[in-house]
Amino acid sequence: MFKALIEPFRYPKLEVGHGEAKVFGAMGSRKPKAKAKNWSGTLGRIWHYLAERRAKLVLVLFMVLLSSGLSLLGPYLISRAVDDYLGGAGGRTWGIFLLILALVYLLNSLVSWLQNVWMIEVAQETVYRMRTELFAHLHRLPISFFNRRQQGEIMSRLTNDIENISSTLNSSAIQIFSSILTLVGTVGVMLWLSPLLTLLTFIVVPLMMLGMRWITRRTGPLFKERQRNMGELNGFIEETLSGQRIIKAFSQEERVITGFRERNTRIMLSGYWAQAISGFIPKLMNGLNNLSFAIVAGVGGLLAIRGLVTVGIIIAFAEYARQFTRPLNDLANQWNTLLSAIAGAERVFEVLDEETEARDEGAAVKLQHVEGAVKFSGVSFSYEGGADTLQDISFEAKPGEMIALVGPTGAGKTTLIGLLSRFYDPSRGSITLDGRELSTITRESLRSQMAFVLQDSFLFKGTIRDNIRYGRLDATDEEVEEAAKLANAHAFIMRLQDGYDRMLSVDGSGISQGQKQLLAIARAILANPSMLVLDEATSSIDTVTEIKIQEGLQALMRGRTSFVIAHRLGTIRAADRILVLEGGRLLQQGSHEELLQQGGLYSELVRGSKEAAEA
Amino acid sequence: MKLTFTYLKKYRVAAIAALVMMLIELAVELSQPLLISKIIDDGIRQQDTAVVWLWGGVLVGSAAVAFLAGILSSFFASHTSQGFAFDLRDKLYEKVQSFTYDVFSRFPTSSLITRLTGDVSQLQDTIFMGLRFMTRIPLVVIGSVVMALVVHVKLGLLLTVTLPFLVIFMIWLMRRASELFRNVQNRLDGVNGVIQENLTGIRLIRVFVRMGHEIGRFAAFSGELMRSTVAALRLTETSTPFIMIIVNAGILAVLWFGRIEISTGDATLGQTVAVINYSLRTMGALSALSWIMVSFSRARASSVRIAEVMSASEGPGELGMTTGNGATPVQAGLSSQHGQSQSVFHKGSDHQAPAVQGKVEFQQVSFSYPGSDIKVLEDISFTVQPGERVAIMGATGSGKSSLVTLIPRLYECGSGMIRVDGKNHTEMDIQALRRSIGYVPQEVLLFTGSIRENIAWGNDQASQADIEQAAAAAQIHETVAALLQGYDTQLGQRGVNLSGGQKQRLTIARALVRRPAILILDDSTSALDAVTEGLLLAELKKMSCTTFLITQKISSTASADLILLLDEGRLIAQGTHAELMEESALYRKIYQSQTGEAQHVQSTH
Repeated sequence: MFKALIEPFRYPKLEVGHGEAKVFGAMGSRKPKAKAKNWSGTLGRIWHYLAERRAKLVLVLFMVLLSSGLSLLGPYLISRAVDDYLGGAGGRTWGIFLLILALVYLLNSLVSWLQNVWMIEVAQETVYRMRTELFAHLHRLPISFFNRRQQGEIMSRLTNDIENISSTLNSSAIQIFSSILTLVGTVGVMLWLSPLLTLLTFIVVPLMMLGMRWITRRTGPLFKERQRNMGELNGFIEETLSGQRIIKAFSQEERVITGFRERNTRIMLSGYWAQAISGFIPKLMNGLNNLSFAIVAGVGGLLAIRGLVTVGIIIAFAEYARQFTRPLNDLANQWNTLLSAIAGAERVFEVLDEETEARDEGAAVKLQHVEGAVKFSGVSFSYEGGADTLQDISFEAKPGEMIALVGPTGAGKTTLIGLLSRFYDPSRGSITLDGRELSTITRESLRSQMAFVLQDSFLFKGTIRDNIRYGRLDATDEEVEEAAKLANAHAFIMRLQDGYDRMLSVDGSGISQGQKQLLAIARAILANPSMLVLDEATSSIDTVTEIKIQEGLQALMRGRTSFVIAHRLGTIRAADRILVLEGGRLLQQGSHEELLQQGGLYSELVRGSKEAAEA
Repeated sequence: MKLTFTYLKKYRVAAIAALVMMLIELAVELSQPLLISKIIDDGIRQQDTAVVWLWGGVLVGSAAVAFLAGILSSFFASHTSQGFAFDLRDKLYEKVQSFTYDVFSRFPTSSLITRLTGDVSQLQDTIFMGLRFMTRIPLVVIGSVVMALVVHVKLGLLLTVTLPFLVIFMIWLMRRASELFRNVQNRLDGVNGVIQENLTGIRLIRVFVRMGHEIGRFAAFSGELMRSTVAALRLTETSTPFIMIIVNAGILAVLWFGRIEISTGDATLGQTVAVINYSLRTMGALSALSWIMVSFSRARASSVRIAEVMSASEGPGELGMTTGNGATPVQAGLSSQHGQSQSVFHKGSDHQAPAVQGKVEFQQVSFSYPGSDIKVLEDISFTVQPGERVAIMGATGSGKSSLVTLIPRLYECGSGMIRVDGKNHTEMDIQALRRSIGYVPQEVLLFTGSIRENIAWGNDQASQADIEQAAAAAQIHETVAALLQGYDTQLGQRGVNLSGGQKQRLTIARALVRRPAILILDDSTSALDAVTEGLLLAELKKMSCTTFLITQKISSTASADLILLLDEGRLIAQGTHAELMEESALYRKIYQSQTGEAQHVQSTH
């Protein structure tokens, strides 16, 4: 029992952010300037979003003004009732007085309802815009952004952080405004009623300032730390749940549970301190509230005996003193959400500030029709300042030609394709399409002239039909099935429960990898592109199926410039030109026969596959 | 909600302490109107300064006590809610990890993630608030009404009659709101689902130039979320104005009757004022209600969603779960009175059965995926001796992958029996069984961390030499060594900064570092070129483990001890390369389609 009682005080002290102070607004004066700029910058940007609903917002503000005034009127009227009608002699106008009071009360209810409902509408529309904007922005970021980050972390910004902003805007924003109004109004009315009692009540203000500063200096970094830990845990959860199959097969449950527990403990520690300390705020307010009540009652009583104030004024002050701290109390109640929302908003804006995929150059043109003549001249490429992944590559593909990329794994084949589709731009050298510099063509129009069957064939949650239709959104059901037939996927689809309407989950469970690739091929066929990229597309399709699909692929490739990364001799042989890559260099190029005559790596590769077959 | 209390139990002392602290605060606040009525009636009206000093002093003193109690309650409440969240998250994750793969795949991954993160946080916040504010609301209301009655029965009754209206309205609102918030939560799941899908499929979306389409889809989903959120909040926002109207009507009545009572001498001014003050406090307390209801109904929805996972059966035969005590926040050195937590998983290594030799027999095995009646495998029988290599061939969808996932018991076979070393493998310790298996799935799955960590993931006792050896056998050592940071190179999620083939070889190294008795390569050599694959197979031969190799290449089946040829779930032929060349027309066809080319190459040479 005793142990359990002292447990809450035995948490190790948490060192965060090098003890940096992060204070909000005017409450701290020792804060470093840069940090404050950060905060106000973030707030400014949130405002920028809100401002788009300016008209409604003005209406909300007007309502807040009205309701603040009405709630000030209530206690004053009660004090008049006490002095004039209950304790005093007046009685003639009693009925009218109560009627006015009733009207004030009714109006106050109505106005505060309207103000909240309208604000929620504004807030939700704002959050909706932020969410969709962030989402759209993600689609403009370069692929390398996603390579660098954990999916769970990005996920957390789009979900948790936005949710935080949402719940804060719903209530906190309006409360902050109404708090300030009520504060100013209350102080005014109090001064008017009794300057002396007002001054005495204000003794609590410096105490409050001190207390708040002490608290907020500690909570800011703690909340940031907790948010960071949360992101990390989310990433861990995401990854381990997506990789569940491996965890099971390797029976590594215990290990991931331990890893989880470590992260979980970190969250608990930072969460404990953040919550405990930020929890002081309402208590501080409450305490000062009680103190000012005591002052009003005690000192007010003494003054009343000397006839300096009336009982009614004490009653009004007791209520006003509460109203005077209540706005601050509300502010304090919203402090938690506000802090984490601003931290969240900062993280959201961080993503929005990420540089997007280099804009298409001003003069970039949209491609209309493409012949498909591709020329690489002296192209080199390196990922973000690393060693060259590709070095001095030059070759030419005539319209309709099939180019096979051959070479050991890691030779740079995938990178070459990435350059062709402008996921990356070459560090040196130039690539042209139909004689036009690739960098002068908009990415979108370039990519919509190409169809891809990638290494990791990705399927969306949805029906098989939808997944194929992804290649061309306006395709009819017949066209979808036609494409599936060409890709040789039709037969297996028909064998599935629900056929084309079979629902697929994101991980495509229920169908095999090879089947996934057949669907990806059907998708590419449907897209009907001018250029085609097959990245080891046929590798997990069995030989028998491959024989059948070859016809489809041949039909697809006819008249289209195709780039194929494949290891199969059959595919390679059919190519018009073979590029042999190793270590980022183009070692040989030519037709199958030419290359065999040259000897070198190509004939080694060919011999290797033959020897392996006979081993 | 029951679930919440189960997990709170461990922190009952701190939780009760927090509540006691809150009661102290409450008592102080509720005594205030009573004391002010004393000051008015006995002090001001009697012109008695001493009385005012006395009660004023009591007010100041009690304020200090309440403040102290409030600060303490913050620690108690924080400890309770953080400890609760830690335990719940920990147990939930353990539970998810204890699911069989089959049970696991019944929950969409994105939904499991929200349950583990958002829902737990929601409950935690609610508990923190509950210990400090929420439970306070009804107490303030009841306390105020009781105190009002104590001060003056007749006037107090006027406040009392407003209560039934408020209670009925609140109950109605509560029900309706929880329904609406469930709706909001579902929409939120939908939005999160789209986000996750988009992040995973980002490359595909780029190359098909479907950004506009996806953005439009997302906008539709978030539009729905927005509308349902507005609908839910609009309802809860009616509560405060409604409460204000009812309680204010009560105040008007107190004023009206109070004046009459005072004039007849049945009540004092101080008493009337005190009753009004109690009414105002009731209203103040209740006005926080809409906010509380939002959190409460959200918490309830979260609790239901968590309970759904908690109550799902782990599936038969999987790792024995121990129930009861949650794990302790070890690093914090807390909860010592509850003793150390037990690990959920049997630590089988101490009493491990003799090492698995690697003989595998399938006896009339049939299998369909749970919830489907399509037989993926039908009547499969074969025997593999320790150290042999089995090549599995067959058309897409013929059941090859399903067959190998049965060996580590990712799924249980429907009928028939699988024996490992002669023992029915459902009777073996699943941990011991899986420890002796190295599995390389089709899809490349790597984890965030260094290359070293990813390989050692297969065997945490592996030394650097072991890791390098495994990497060398998987034909990846040279590539890794050539990297700037070598084995310390960090891999992003899904190891994006390596090529497909390189990643695949890392997953092979990860399996090899376990020194498995049984190795399963589910088409894991597809991205490898022929030379690399040949070298890899030669290495595997040296390791003398029973190897199941799903492949399309005759080059790798030719040297196998046993070839299984599958077609639409049935085993249509088995034997060595030579035997199948004799017996199976399909096999001959495959052989010709592949080697025919090679011979052709040879002849033109």
